[in-house]
Amino acid sequence: MPVSAMLFVLWLVFTMKTNREHLLMGAVVSVLIGFFTSLMFNRKMDANFSLKLLVKFPLFFVLLAWEIIKANLDVLRRVFAPSMPVSPRIIAFDSLLETDLARVVLGNSITLTPGTVTIDIEGSRFYIHCLAEAHQEDLLQGRLERMVAWLFSEGPVEIRRLR
Amino acid sequence: MPGRILIILFSAVGTVFFLGGTVGILRFPDLYSRLHPSTKCDTLGACSIIIALCLYSGLSADTLKLILIIFFLLLSSATCGHAIGRSAFKHDIVPWHKPGVKPLPFEGEEN
Amino acid sequence: MSNFLLAVALVLMVNAFLCLYRAVRGPAIQDRIISINIVNTKTLVVLLLVFFVTGTPQLYIDIALVYALLNFVVTVAVSRYLEAEGSELRRHAWKNPDNTV
Repeated sequence: MPVSAMLFVLWLVFTMKTNREHLLMGAVVSVLIGFFTSLMFNRKMDANFSLKLLVKFPLFFVLLAWEIIKANLDVLRRVFAPSMPVSPRIIAFDSLLETDLARVVLGNSITLTPGTVTIDIEGSRFYIHCLAEAHQEDLLQGRLERMVAWLFSEGPVEIRRLR
Repeated sequence: MPGRILIILFSAVGTVFFLGGTVGILRFPDLYSRLHPSTKCDTLGACSIIIALCLYSGLSADTLKLILIIFFLLLSSATCGHAIGRSAFKHDIVPWHKPGVKPLPFEGEEN
Repeated sequence: MSNFLLAVALVLMVNAFLCLYRAVRGPAIQDRIISINIVNTKTLVVLLLVFFVTGTPQLYIDIALVYALLNFVVTVAVSRYLEAEGSELRRHAWKNPDNTV
């Protein structure tokens, strides 16, 4: 059902019309698509959505945006420096997060933050390409993992915080 | 007029990020390093030029769609980078590394 | 103001042509995919700039949205295909180790 609500909001944004016909059409189509999606994914999708997530997400997004801007300035500095101070390597680390959605969010956040790109995820093991040694140390301190654990309220209790 | 200055600022910053992405693509030594400018600089460049366009068009129905495009770009470019890197990883492409640095976590015991 | 935005679009087009060098020259197939992905993102932004400068973006902004979707789908589909091919190659190499791939 959350999928249907999200699709209906998207329909409103795309059509920008509030006729009775358009609203009815959008409602029917979004409910149908939500129903088929829940059939396809065996009703596993709806468990993770909650209202608390909707409140927590903007704060998480603001912090992530600041990290993204820092990441870009760092990559720009390394690109334009004449000696090109990079020393790439691939490292592996094990995450404490349990659900797939939290792992996906963690992988995408790692890709968008300084000097690290998620290469592969096998179970709870992440393979990550780092651009230099400083990025590796930053990553292994696990700040992003704490932020994602706070966002989804899962993992060990002592790591669920923002800083 | 401060609006014009903001538009010029945002689009100039976006252009600089795009330029950085291009130079990074052309300069970096191997495939995995080229993923970094393609996922980071490109996304932020596109986002800041789209924000400039939001300011340019003023508040209307288009602004919502532009914000939707920004969210989608943030989501999709990270996923694209992950997919490309994963396919390279499955092809056993070893990353370029400086002498003395261990490039892979498992020292070739896999496969 | 619109002249400035058009100049930005021009710079982005020159950038896209520079990126095509990597698509022509890149040693691995994945390099070419990265380059095409970047060219697609730049095309999206140029499209939006031109629409907003020439007016009537209400009709055409959906085209930009669909272009972003297509970019994502194409990249993910091609790299998933290459990934399957890579594991296939590895399996054959494992079956007969004399055959160096």
